[in-house]
Amino acid sequence: MAKDLSKVRNIGISAHIDSGKTTLTERILFYTDRIHAIHEVRGKDGVGAKMDSMELEKERGITIQSAATYASWKDVDINIIDTPGHVDFTIEVERALRVLDGAILVLCSVGGVQSQSITVSRQMARYRVPRIAFVNKCDRTGANPARVTEQLRDKLELNAHLMQLPIGLEGDFEGLVDLITMKAIYFDGENGEILREEAIPADMAAEAEEKREALLEEISMFSEELMESLLEGGDIDPQLIHDAVRRGTLALEFTPVFVGSAYKNKGIQPLLDAVSSYLPCPTDVVNHALDLEDDEKEFPVSNDPDDKLIMLAFKLEDGRYGQLTYVRTYQGMLKKGDTVYNSRTGKKVKIGRLVRMHADEMEEIDSCGPGDIVALFGVDCASGDTFTAEGISASMSSMHIPEPVISLAVIPVDNKAQNNMSKALNRFTKEDPTFRTYVDHETGETIISGMGELHLDVYIERMKREYSAAVEVGAPQVAYRETITMQAAFDYIHKKQTGGSGQYGRVAGYLEPLEEGEYEFVDEIVGGVIPREFIPSCDKGFQKSMAKGSLCGAAITGVRAVINDGNSHSVDSSDVAFQLAAQGAFKEAYMKAKPVIMEPIMKVAVEGPTEFQGAVMGSLNQRRGMIIGTMEEGNYTVVEAEVPLSEMFGYSTTLRSLTQGKAEFTMEFATFKQVPKSVSEELVKKFQEEKRND
Amino acid sequence: MGKEDLISSNPLRVLGLDNKAEEGRQSLGLVMARAGLGKTAILVQIALDSMLRGNRVLHVAIGETIDKTRDRYDDILAKMVEDLNEEAESDLSRRRMIMTFKENVFSRAMLEERLQDLIEQDVFKPDCLIIDGYDFDGNGRQAMEDLKQLMAELGISVIWFSAVSHREDPRVSADGVPAPCHTIDDLFEVVLLINPQDNVMKLDILRCAYCEVEPGTALLLDPSTMLIQKS
Repeated sequence: MAKDLSKVRNIGISAHIDSGKTTLTERILFYTDRIHAIHEVRGKDGVGAKMDSMELEKERGITIQSAATYASWKDVDINIIDTPGHVDFTIEVERALRVLDGAILVLCSVGGVQSQSITVSRQMARYRVPRIAFVNKCDRTGANPARVTEQLRDKLELNAHLMQLPIGLEGDFEGLVDLITMKAIYFDGENGEILREEAIPADMAAEAEEKREALLEEISMFSEELMESLLEGGDIDPQLIHDAVRRGTLALEFTPVFVGSAYKNKGIQPLLDAVSSYLPCPTDVVNHALDLEDDEKEFPVSNDPDDKLIMLAFKLEDGRYGQLTYVRTYQGMLKKGDTVYNSRTGKKVKIGRLVRMHADEMEEIDSCGPGDIVALFGVDCASGDTFTAEGISASMSSMHIPEPVISLAVIPVDNKAQNNMSKALNRFTKEDPTFRTYVDHETGETIISGMGELHLDVYIERMKREYSAAVEVGAPQVAYRETITMQAAFDYIHKKQTGGSGQYGRVAGYLEPLEEGEYEFVDEIVGGVIPREFIPSCDKGFQKSMAKGSLCGAAITGVRAVINDGNSHSVDSSDVAFQLAAQGAFKEAYMKAKPVIMEPIMKVAVEGPTEFQGAVMGSLNQRRGMIIGTMEEGNYTVVEAEVPLSEMFGYSTTLRSLTQGKAEFTMEFATFKQVPKSVSEELVKKFQEEKRND
Repeated sequence: MGKEDLISSNPLRVLGLDNKAEEGRQSLGLVMARAGLGKTAILVQIALDSMLRGNRVLHVAIGETIDKTRDRYDDILAKMVEDLNEEAESDLSRRRMIMTFKENVFSRAMLEERLQDLIEQDVFKPDCLIIDGYDFDGNGRQAMEDLKQLMAELGISVIWFSAVSHREDPRVSADGVPAPCHTIDDLFEVVLLINPQDNVMKLDILRCAYCEVEPGTALLLDPSTMLIQKS
């Protein structure tokens, strides 16, 4: 029997680090009977929260990889992906958002909306993910859910409204007032599992009435029936209110805000009700696939179990039993033993085992259908691959993947470590498209690159722990780029005739800056002056030249190589000869094309007490930072700046000492910009010295 | 249009403020309009003109976010100049800084403290200040005179404000400056009023101490882009 998709919710839980996402997920699993005991993230019982299944995560108390899990609340099936909070891991957040239909934005009631929440919110907007907000940690000193709601409106520009009022705050946080039912809810029992409804405390009645009125007025925008009902006066059907909130939320025009304390077991069950009531089901959201047989034309997926299967592999994990692939099904059914096709490779894949994941435990299932998020066993693929049934050639739209900005050398200490490191790197690059690796042919070193220091740190730790790969690590290096700024012609002959068969190839044309993309090869050869079979050799030669620029040894990007003339020799021309001719031609034209060095620029946001604002701005300024602006919020200020990544190493230590540890910062990649002349000269000089020493 | 052309052909030249700034004279400017008519768009054009002339502009946005304010600059710059190269754009961005405050927390003392911070840390020394969203209803002549004094202390040559006028408030000064600025209009060297009329948007020059055009002259605004045009 086909599953009722209106009873399915695929949700993400994302927010700022330390806002309590993992604890919240743990409680959700507890109340939905997926686990039978509660363990804290950094708990004394040494078990750790269920969702932090990786050892490292348990140790650091942060969530690094999103673990998918399934829960059931009343009659609704909820697939939850717990997502990491640090910017360095945003590819995880982005992937989760790509496959989810809705999200809970978790905020700390003390810290409120912080820079990472802004980043996450932007990502949610990019993927048009409807969200509800949960203001957690209402039991903490300084808790102020009203202020956080205001920040959601001011900083994230969300039409956010409290759906509940807290009864007491900080140490006195007892329960909450539901502004729809106008009842007070208390959470009794050892783990808050018994909900007790009471009348609203007398001293809160007036406030509750006032807030309810404001809420109803706001959401009546989304429902004519509700508006009429309000105008008529009298009792209002709660279902009308729920419908209006749902409509506003799905249209991304309203964000209902819930309050609670996951740690104190308060407010979770009403939040689960809200997930069921207000977040979309798979059919509420239109997802698109690309038709690979029709010039990648977009078409909406059907959500119909009877249609041909389309599913997306959005996450890979290496478990004890081999590769575990998390997939989201968009249409069609997948059964154990089915054969599917990988759209990217065209390879047939037989589905052996199908499981529903619950953090690091699994439940065997026989089939899955539209809207389901499940995991497959033993399927060889990369993250982002699409699987389809036979007879349909489609791919889910590609994901936005940022370029890595930092790299470092990893050197295995012995042969065993070398083997283990290779296995680990092979795995990590499949799991995470923002993590890249290559061998520097000149130094023979293995270089890993990624989105930040912490990102690479985590992989190095995983290499050591999970793969026993003992490695030494070089200093982090900024991923500079070289690019050209003007057109330059080349006309190069590669000729070698010293005994035996010779080598001959002539290529002529020009290099020019390419506005978008890394490299483009244009063949304008007419009359076969370069035989067809050697055209790919020219392309290959240019691409080889792009690997390392002659200014500072960085990879070259943004080049269009056009060939329009050449010559060949009936005996001496070969693939190698034309590759070398193209390399010579590139070298000839490159310096004439006025190359420049580009560096990654990071968007940095520093938040801290206003008294340190001057010092913070000074510190960013000293780092070649361009202060974009400051945002003053009472005693707290956010300074936003664009700073070259090369200047940000060690900034956390500087910031700590400047602000007595009271400020924090986040950074994310913004763009590549040309380095100033002085820096460029220094980089060129350093590269020349290195070359001399080699 | 090149940068030089953009500067010389800018209709704002008629206000004659830049020559006075070069002579070391300090001025206050005011853009008034009813709510939602585009005061910020005018202020941003004034700021961009100043930046193109090589000045540094501090844009104080009260009750607005950094991103939104920045977007305003990007949008208007894109409308003013079709293809500005990356270097020129980056150079322009370095001449601007945005400071946002919540409506109820902005004060002269706070602004002074922030400006001192910027100057002492050698981060940014503005030549021109844009204050968008200043509360003229809640602050009187003394507050404005205080700001004028601050300007002198910090060597700022011009401050531009925006103010909201209300249709239902008929009060005006002798020069036609509407409430709530009608009693302090003598403090401003220039007062502009966005004046929508039938199918045209006019930018009336109500006061202009150094004007190079006849009093009563109006500039025109392109209603779709809000770019200032010559009348």
